Amino acid sequence: MTTAPAERTAAPTAPPSRNPGNVHGRMTALTLFSPVRLKWRPVQKVAFWLGKYVPLAQTHILQFDFIHYVRWTVFRDFPYDGPPQPKRDRLNYPYLFFESNFDGPWQHYIDAFAYCIPGDIRFVWGRGINFPGPPPAEPLKRWIAENSREGGTYYQAFPNTGVKEVKGALAVRDGLRRLVVESKGLSPEEFKAAYERFLHEVQHGL
Amino acid sequence: MKIFDHDRAGVASALTTFAPIIPGEEETVRELIEALPQGEESPFARLPQLHCSRLHILRELQYQGGGQKPDELASSYLVFTSSYDGELDDYLDTICDEIPEEADSWWSHCVAYPGTADRAAFKRYIRSHHRKTSLFAAAYPPETVQSVRDALELRRRVVDFVVDTQGLSAAELQRRFDETFAEAV
Repeated sequence: MTTAPAERTAAPTAPPSRNPGNVHGRMTALTLFSPVRLKWRPVQKVAFWLGKYVPLAQTHILQFDFIHYVRWTVFRDFPYDGPPQPKRDRLNYPYLFFESNFDGPWQHYIDAFAYCIPGDIRFVWGRGINFPGPPPAEPLKRWIAENSREGGTYYQAFPNTGVKEVKGALAVRDGLRRLVVESKGLSPEEFKAAYERFLHEVQHGL
Repeated sequence: MKIFDHDRAGVASALTTFAPIIPGEEETVRELIEALPQGEESPFARLPQLHCSRLHILRELQYQGGGQKPDELASSYLVFTSSYDGELDDYLDTICDEIPEEADSWWSHCVAYPGTADRAAFKRYIRSHHRKTSLFAAAYPPETVQSVRDALELRRRVVDFVVDTQGLSAAELQRRFDETFAEAV
């Protein structure tokens, strides 16, 4: 079964009013499944390996404080379990399965992707067939609206807590632990000074 | 834990499964998963190591145009993704222990699904329908669901403490701090 691309001049699809199956609280799961050109696959494999094992690349991937978890999976063959499954599905291309779990609707963030990391976007998807490499952002938004998988159900353990809030709470925890250890044996005046430094350091997380 | 484990980011793991749906049962399973309760009532809320999970149906492939040779699927697939803490084996045990009826309710519409009652067969089924991750990344990789929950609760206590102790003398502030947060390390 295949769905034809929508008219590319159309406006980006607005989020549907009913639960689309990929929203829980403030969180959204964006799921895309798109073909990759065969000759680009070896390059993409190297890119994913570097993304996994080069620390700078990991930092780069998560430079935006709104992505909780993100995965890329590339495959061509679907599982086959025998009848009554009609046949083994083997696609003409490797397909890239992408799932990102992040704060808020994806429409808010595509500008950041399109204008801050256009090279990364083009590198991962740009060799996909007919992919509208950014910038500008609007064609990319239309492409995502067309390719976003809707329906189903979605669950997040912290549906109303954004990445910044989680990282802020973790910074408060770590700072408090240091203060508890380092304040042992301090005079009251020394403790108060250390406590105020702690509050200053973690104020963005409170 | 394997050194070159692409399904792993810190303590978090990624599971991505595609289970072929029995022909003719696609609509039944769609209605079933879309009727699942959300939030704290969701069956997934009973899996303590689960950060996030999605269950949906892959039925059609988006044709990209531009000279693409069209692809068509002969089957529809129930796609299950999870970002969870720890090892797959433990996660699957938790599914069998905590949500066996719910898990069976959606996967029983898939070809050759053995059920959670046969735990070993269930684990083999999930593993054989998993597609390995090429790259998985987490915003706070060393943190479990529980440690995030604890940090959010600790932050709430710190905020309360800051409000409650405004204007106290240095000695009283130190006494109250020791009393309140001595166990924080």
